[in-house]
Amino acid sequence: MADSRRSALLSWTNKPAAKMSDVVEKTLTALPSLLSLDSQPGSAKLSSSSKLGNLIRGITELTSKHEEEKLIQRELVSIKEQVSSPNTTMRQMKELMVRAIYCESLGYEASFSYIHAIKLAQQGTALEKRVGYLAVSLFLNENHELLLLLVNTVLKDLQSTNLIEVCMALTVVSQMFPKDMIPAILPLVEEKLNHPKEIIRRKAVLALYKFYLIAPNQVQHIHNKFRKALCDKDPGVMTASLHIYLQLIQENPDGYKDLTASFVTILKQVVGGKLPIDFNYHSVPAPWLQIQLLRILSLLGKNDQNASDIMYEILDESLQRAEMNHNITYAILYECVKCVYTIHPKSDLLEKAAKCIGNFVLSQKINLKYLGLKALTYVVQQDPKLALQHQMTIIECLDHSDLIIKRETVELLFRITNAQNVMVIVDKMLEFLRVSPDDYTTIDLTGKVAELAEKYPSQ
Amino acid sequence: MSWTSSLPPSFLQMQFMLLFSRQGKLRLQKWYVPLSDKERKKISRDLVQTILARKPKMCSFLEWRDLKIVYKRYASLYFCCAVEDQDNELITLEIIHRYVELLDKYFGSVCELDIIFNFEKAYFILDEFLLGGEAQETSKKNVLKAIEQADLLQEEAEAPRSVLEEIGLT
Repeated sequence: MADSRRSALLSWTNKPAAKMSDVVEKTLTALPSLLSLDSQPGSAKLSSSSKLGNLIRGITELTSKHEEEKLIQRELVSIKEQVSSPNTTMRQMKELMVRAIYCESLGYEASFSYIHAIKLAQQGTALEKRVGYLAVSLFLNENHELLLLLVNTVLKDLQSTNLIEVCMALTVVSQMFPKDMIPAILPLVEEKLNHPKEIIRRKAVLALYKFYLIAPNQVQHIHNKFRKALCDKDPGVMTASLHIYLQLIQENPDGYKDLTASFVTILKQVVGGKLPIDFNYHSVPAPWLQIQLLRILSLLGKNDQNASDIMYEILDESLQRAEMNHNITYAILYECVKCVYTIHPKSDLLEKAAKCIGNFVLSQKINLKYLGLKALTYVVQQDPKLALQHQMTIIECLDHSDLIIKRETVELLFRITNAQNVMVIVDKMLEFLRVSPDDYTTIDLTGKVAELAEKYPSQ
Repeated sequence: MSWTSSLPPSFLQMQFMLLFSRQGKLRLQKWYVPLSDKERKKISRDLVQTILARKPKMCSFLEWRDLKIVYKRYASLYFCCAVEDQDNELITLEIIHRYVELLDKYFGSVCELDIIFNFEKAYFILDEFLLGGEAQETSKKNVLKAIEQADLLQEEAEAPRSVLEEIGLT
């Protein structure tokens, strides 16, 4: 029986078992790399002689959890001995850390190795350091007390002439960093914003974003530097700055109205295909960038006719360009629709957006139907007629076999309750409560039913 | 147990990503919110059971506690992400797909075994693409180039000088 773990992820389809010849074909192609001992850059190296390889193979051969426990405990004892020994080189330490990561991911505790991961990041070179940092990011978390010990290492690496070390330091800092030490590291990260290499500028922006999230007042004084990042000639750096802007604008939209035109211009360029073709994802130009921009524009255009005026053209264009049949196009459309309904209303745009929602709700694809219902819920206050238009589908969805569709429908119904239909809707909600599997939904729905009972006491 | 970390809510903030096999073995786990070991284990266990019980034609999204879970099966592996309730789930689905494409380009027709035996590489790629839980728009080329450059260091561990000069990094 062929090992299903050898099936290529991307060419797999959810169909019944492949023909025997296909399976043999795949196994035969996998064999050379399995057995080869030489390293090929970038490709799979199933090292048959490595200790990790042996450990993994050992685990897969076992049949009981109890045996697995015994094996791993033995392994952990051996690892512990070796990491504590003064004779262990950094090269060996790297290999030990990888095995420790493996044991921890199987669910066994190896906290004795945490300190050594930090040491590895500190004292190792290049790839050893990389594994050290990786181990730290997997073992620890933001609130862990050992994280403080990493600070000096990171500070040193940020000043290294080896740019890969700088990248590693910035990567780890963007994932976790003790809040109180931010002032110590801030100037070093700030100066990286001007670095000639785009990857460093980009990572510096992301590190600052992280700092902003955990300690906003520490980062107040450099807002003008974010503007520079927004105008960076590299699209990657510019995209990174959008994370910060989205956050800033969420908190204070008025402070950034002057940037509305800039965001619209960027979106126009992206949609118009002005970015390098490498940023395309399935023929769609920089979709995540588009989505960030659409969210920013929603925030800026809300309750502001002047700002909204600037956006209508590009929103119209985005809604039109949606002929392609791919999930990511639908994702962009969804954001577009939300944007159109959030900003100052414009009737022809609203019409197009409504049509779009209709297409989603009527789609046979279950994921799209779900998104359509979600969109309906979002817009129903402004456009109650739309829900009415699709009421047949909504009623069908109430009885859908998939719980999440049902749930979303119930949510939608809650929003279109009025004195006439409240009894029916509450009935449906109670029905759903009976089949709902988890506490959060139950609490939420019960609250809603109570709300309705208060609102319409006579019924 | 409160889910919302000490961080303020932000768009596209992923809480965690898990990869697991059909037997429920965790292959990769990346946590973007601070949680204790015990909490992580409990979550992984619960979620893996929930998703493995799903049938093929069901929606790729489900509600779990106060989060949305977006998952997709690729051959023998399940990729699963947790995002906050208000997020656009289709984007997360595409983030998963993009990650699989990156893995595929790097490993060449990637399969579960590649990820099992080379999980550090899979993590490195994940970190380049999803920094701190945020999807980066960097082109596929840039993400993989960053990994390959670091890989070159391994090949030439004995003579680091020449490699770094070659790729213009010193």
